Amino acid sequence: MKRMCLAILLVFLIAILSSCGRHVPLEDLTISLILGVDLDDENNLIISESSPVFNKDAKKSVETYQLKAKSIRASRKYFDALATGEVTAAKIQILLLGKRVLEHEDWFSILDTVYRNPTFSINTRVIVVDGPVSDVIFYKPADKPQLALHLKEAIDKNNGRSRTVNNTLQVLHRQMYEKGLTPSISEIKKEKNLKFVGVSLLNENGKYVDSLSIQDSSLLLILKDEQKQEVTFTIPMKSLDDEGGIFNKNELSIDVNRVKSKVKTKYDQDKFHFNYKIHMTVTIVEQLFPVGKVKEKELEKMIEKELNSRFKVLIKKIQENKIDPIGLGLYARAYQYEQYKKVEEHWGKALAESNIDVSVDIDIKSMGAIK
Amino acid sequence: MGVGVLTLPRELAEQAGTDGWMVIIISWFLATMASLIIIQIMKKYPNGTILDLLTHYFGKWIGRVATIIFALYFALLANVIFIREALFIQAWILPRTEVYVLILLLSIPSYQIARKNINILGRYSEFVFFMTLWTIIIYLIPLKYAHWLHLFPVLKEGWLPILTTVKTSIFSFLGFEIAFFLYPFLQKKEKASMGVVIANTLSLLAFLMVTIGAFIFYSPDEITIYNEPTIEMLKVLEFKFIERLEIVFFSFYLFVISTTVLPFMFMTVFCTSQLVGKQDYSKHLACFLLIEFAVVVLFPPSFDENTHLQQVIEKAGIILAFAFPLCLWGYVWVHGLFKRRAIK
Repeated sequence: MKRMCLAILLVFLIAILSSCGRHVPLEDLTISLILGVDLDDENNLIISESSPVFNKDAKKSVETYQLKAKSIRASRKYFDALATGEVTAAKIQILLLGKRVLEHEDWFSILDTVYRNPTFSINTRVIVVDGPVSDVIFYKPADKPQLALHLKEAIDKNNGRSRTVNNTLQVLHRQMYEKGLTPSISEIKKEKNLKFVGVSLLNENGKYVDSLSIQDSSLLLILKDEQKQEVTFTIPMKSLDDEGGIFNKNELSIDVNRVKSKVKTKYDQDKFHFNYKIHMTVTIVEQLFPVGKVKEKELEKMIEKELNSRFKVLIKKIQENKIDPIGLGLYARAYQYEQYKKVEEHWGKALAESNIDVSVDIDIKSMGAIK
Repeated sequence: MGVGVLTLPRELAEQAGTDGWMVIIISWFLATMASLIIIQIMKKYPNGTILDLLTHYFGKWIGRVATIIFALYFALLANVIFIREALFIQAWILPRTEVYVLILLLSIPSYQIARKNINILGRYSEFVFFMTLWTIIIYLIPLKYAHWLHLFPVLKEGWLPILTTVKTSIFSFLGFEIAFFLYPFLQKKEKASMGVVIANTLSLLAFLMVTIGAFIFYSPDEITIYNEPTIEMLKVLEFKFIERLEIVFFSFYLFVISTTVLPFMFMTVFCTSQLVGKQDYSKHLACFLLIEFAVVVLFPPSFDENTHLQQVIEKAGIILAFAFPLCLWGYVWVHGLFKRRAIK
């Protein structure tokens, strides 16, 4: 009797094992690796996706579609109508945002499903496209691997060399919601080739305001204290009275080994004061002017002066646009909470009125292998 | 450690901001105090459970009423956690499976483990503890995205929001009142106080680690948006050979949840079988699980309902696990005083 009961129970249980019922073989899936969001000339939302094709008979290895849709999730049914397999979003590596999208406020809500649907990967890299997204997503260079891989590797490499921010969906979410911080996203442009051009800066509402060049992005990363293993600057020594000539005789390249930055936050005379002290240990890796023209101490002073003025330009740009890509709001909240709470909703404006000092301290560790 | 920890960082952040971690320490202190009081009470009547003690002091009827109250309380607690566990599984791992199927599947191992006696449960808990210890290490990995500045300033809005949040985090510590029932089964009773302090402290460390981890990982302005930040923050983990690690982690965490829900189930049937005067738990447990299943089939649960029920049980928990031991302790103490005088 007992055995009978067990047997019946077993059969019954096997019958309800529903999770095994709906399996999909990998070949029948259309795995999107790139998702593009853009607006066309009449401000219609354009969603595009690109996925690899696993079939032997197919001539091309990538299928890419672009269409009008009301939302990202709504676009899936149209993609399903076009693609061979079931379109799935779980493995999206790159999210391309057209600059046209960013020129409107409140575009962020269009990404809702990305965060709400647990199957989306949160590590997807977000990249802004200067120009139409379709130029990029349909781009198939003969000398590169698949576009998704190429873009992912390129952004990770540039981030590893401290030239661009690494903005994943997770980081973007944080930057959009955090009041003491405004988003900054890597930017690419398609001219003859596809290339990184720098970092797009958005304001509190997510509207595009300005861009930083690759060199300025490194400075931004240092201010954010998010520099990676390698930071390199090539700077002209303007004070050398040497025009440079064809061979740029006054250029100097430094490799920054260590960065130690300290921020002091004060509130005084109705405004915030941020005092940056950045200490860098550097190695000279390239020096085009003759040896002995300047002493090491003078050289340190000259580099300090040059970097200081670059930081100043960057900070002026930030303040003029009333944004805070550095995240100084976090410092303000941590150390001047009462005052910060009052201006929290308009932090960009408060930062524009505040006083940011950067002083760089250079320590040359090595002049390289030759004199 | 149960389902509470999955939503704990959000619930704390909603009410106390990034000072929420202090709430956990206060709750830990209260929980430890209450469990020490429970041990003190049980020392007066070392060979019986709380039900025997109440019968001894107040008579048969009070004892019976207490048994019913405890049975109801544990049943509700087990019910809340059991259903929440199934809801989480549905939301995160098996979105296309009905909740009642999950309940049915969970019922079978639960029945197997909890039907016999407390020793098996104890061994099971110990086994799961050592088996899942490594999971806490995973929470160190997202720390490379940490922003310690989020925690400052300490005491943003003063003590008031912290104190009012204590009742939320107490739910995560509930469960120590089982000491009322476990005490007679202990072999080394003199180490009981030490045991509850260690148990509570272990929970404290785990809660603190997860909560502070979530607070420095998420911006204080965004953390309240995520329903289960504890699982969500693991989504950033990605290795070359495995993605969506949070699902693996959560599947593993189900074992930990089971060590919370199973003792509650056992306590429920312990009380009910004491009520009818039998020592056979397995029939009662089968009944309990069947009722649970029927409830889920008839009234499909949702997160909102479950949260509502959880708030009700929180209040009951505060009475039964904090106020009740305190009053009883006072009574037992006064009673002992009078008795001694009477002997003189």
